[in-house]
Amino acid sequence: MGTAAIAQSFSIQSENGAFKVAGWSAPLTEPAKGWSSVFAVYAGSAAVPALDVPPLLGSYAVEGGSLVFHPRFPFASGVHYRAVFHPPGGAAPVEKIFDGPPRDIAPLARVERVYPSSDVLPSNQLRLYIYFSAAMSRGEAGQRIHLLDEKGKVLPGVFLPGEELWDPGFRRLTMTFDPGRIKRGLTSNEAMGPPIVEGKRYALAIDRDWADARGVRMLEGFRKSFRGGPAERHPPDPAQWRVTAPKAGTSEALAVNFPTPMNYPLMERMLQVSGAHGSVAGTVSVDRQETEWRLTPREPWKAGNYKLVVDTGLEDLAGNHIGQAFDIDVFDHVTEHIAGNTISLPFAVR
Amino acid sequence: MNSRITLIRVAAGLSLAAALVFTVTAARTAPSLSASLVSGKAQLVSAGPLAFGPEGVLFVGDSIGGAVVALDTNDHTAPRSTVKIDVQGVDAKIAALVGVTPDQILINDLKVNPISRNAYLSASRGKGPDAMPLIARVNGSGEVSLLSLDNIPHSSVSLTDAPKANPGARQNPRVMTITDMTYVNGNLMVAGLSNEEWSSALRSIPVPFKTAEQGATLQIWHSSHGRYETESPVRTFVPYTISGQQYILAAYTCTPLVKIPVSDLKPGAKVKGVTIADLGSGNQPLDMVPYKKDGHQYILVSNTALGMVKLKADSLETYKPIDSPTVVDVAGVPYDSLGNLKNVQQLAQLDDADAVILTGKPGPGPAYAPGPAVGPLNLQTIALP
Repeated sequence: MGTAAIAQSFSIQSENGAFKVAGWSAPLTEPAKGWSSVFAVYAGSAAVPALDVPPLLGSYAVEGGSLVFHPRFPFASGVHYRAVFHPPGGAAPVEKIFDGPPRDIAPLARVERVYPSSDVLPSNQLRLYIYFSAAMSRGEAGQRIHLLDEKGKVLPGVFLPGEELWDPGFRRLTMTFDPGRIKRGLTSNEAMGPPIVEGKRYALAIDRDWADARGVRMLEGFRKSFRGGPAERHPPDPAQWRVTAPKAGTSEALAVNFPTPMNYPLMERMLQVSGAHGSVAGTVSVDRQETEWRLTPREPWKAGNYKLVVDTGLEDLAGNHIGQAFDIDVFDHVTEHIAGNTISLPFAVR
Repeated sequence: MNSRITLIRVAAGLSLAAALVFTVTAARTAPSLSASLVSGKAQLVSAGPLAFGPEGVLFVGDSIGGAVVALDTNDHTAPRSTVKIDVQGVDAKIAALVGVTPDQILINDLKVNPISRNAYLSASRGKGPDAMPLIARVNGSGEVSLLSLDNIPHSSVSLTDAPKANPGARQNPRVMTITDMTYVNGNLMVAGLSNEEWSSALRSIPVPFKTAEQGATLQIWHSSHGRYETESPVRTFVPYTISGQQYILAAYTCTPLVKIPVSDLKPGAKVKGVTIADLGSGNQPLDMVPYKKDGHQYILVSNTALGMVKLKADSLETYKPIDSPTVVDVAGVPYDSLGNLKNVQQLAQLDDADAVILTGKPGPGPAYAPGPAVGPLNLQTIALP
């Protein structure tokens, strides 16, 4: 607790998130200029006259004859609160400083994994998904994530600026390579080329100084090395996928293998299996650098006909999805139209 | 400085737009919007992009909550004279009201109530998943107040699609981050970016909101040099009238500025914008204000790296969509780079002759993608240049 400049017998107390003036019998009616003219609480330990900041929002009540201020917002950790009481009659103001809850400063966040997990990324790679072990702070991605060339030099203008795309828990960040550089024919693409060049080596570097949601830096930084591969210009073709059916009576996983890696978060939710009795419940896993999708059933497989149901929104690493390439060259081919939002690949369990 | 930018007249490519009737185009005799709102606690999880509708109703984009909330600001009194806002350290004032240090306030958007001309800011108290949404109002006297969300006439519409059957999933990690919203002819147009799939839709939601009606969606495409087509999310946009026809003026995530006739915005349609400017690499347009001055049309555009730019937009009047996939026309359109308006983080139209800007030093990070501005952030009225 901080210092107090006690005058007369008035004192200011803080309990249960509220502030109370003790030793002063508050009138039942509010003064003409409002309770805040008598008693106000400010964020920060010292007044900053130049800024003329207002006091905390909240409500006043006279409880047991004492004036009590209930802030509308909870105390923030690491913040000091300055409560000021102006005794009527012109006596010297009473001021007391209170501390918000102490800040927990033990680092606990790290980058757990990054997708794609492969060490070869197509030169038109569209997105990266960065998974953290703890909730992170918004507003730091631009200064904490770097793409380095083979000499370790930071490459500018690689990622799409603007809103940071977090999951609701702020533990997964989606980074998008600048689509203006990927998309053929745009000024950015022609002036700077694609962010990744086939055959060159890169490293994705994430600074340790990134603050987690509590404002504490990470346990360690992160680095992922990779090489640029050829651009992926064609939509994923389900005819090229290999479905390995499990045996009836077992709880073996159904395996689906793709010729090239697919988008990890979409693999987690855009493939399902249905049989004669509806959707097959089980555990999904994604392996082999996102070229394999496995479903381990909750109940052993029953013999019969099944189908793998795939949302046509399923994308590969370059944002091509089933039936539609990311950027379509209208001179080369006509857009193939896929009716409906899903396709089905039948298989039998025997 | 007087510069020139590349201006590309883009071929519209394949004949994709189906001739459907779309409700956006129909001027409707809408029921009173504010009368449709119900008092109670507005369930906002986050406060992002803002847009004003009629009757002082403020739409708030809540990306984390997967919804748009309409709030009655109860702020319907027109000012007696031009509102001159000048608030130094508006971030510090908001921080003081909610009991945190100014670095814990992130300001997300700025719009002006077209009736009262008071400025509204959406902000976050905190930077993590537990951040609290704030809506602040700043009046011409410089007073900063917070809208109480506990008991306010409101309604909301969910943007979240029906949950997928995925019993193993804990919290759905998919978020459609709302990048901008604008109210046009009885509809709220909502642009978003998914944190999972690239393909995304522009949504048109009839106002007042109806239960479980998420509105029509349409795909927004971009064509470059008449050859490459990409489904291209819109990042920011404003309504714009050219020769009596209603357009939206949009900036794609891949940078070009385009115009899209509102009459093209048909449910389920694939819509391609006509490129009017490609501001090029290493830059992102932030906000746009179209206006008329001394008989000429201009568009004021705030950008990350390029700073504030005034596009001379008279030539837009003569632009017509081109149907052939082979026609490419490159021309230069002059623009003024407004070096005196630096570090503009937010830009909003105040009235026909004025705008409100929020300025502050860009945060750390590269110039084209700086972190949140470093306070003090100042809010002030400027005359449209």
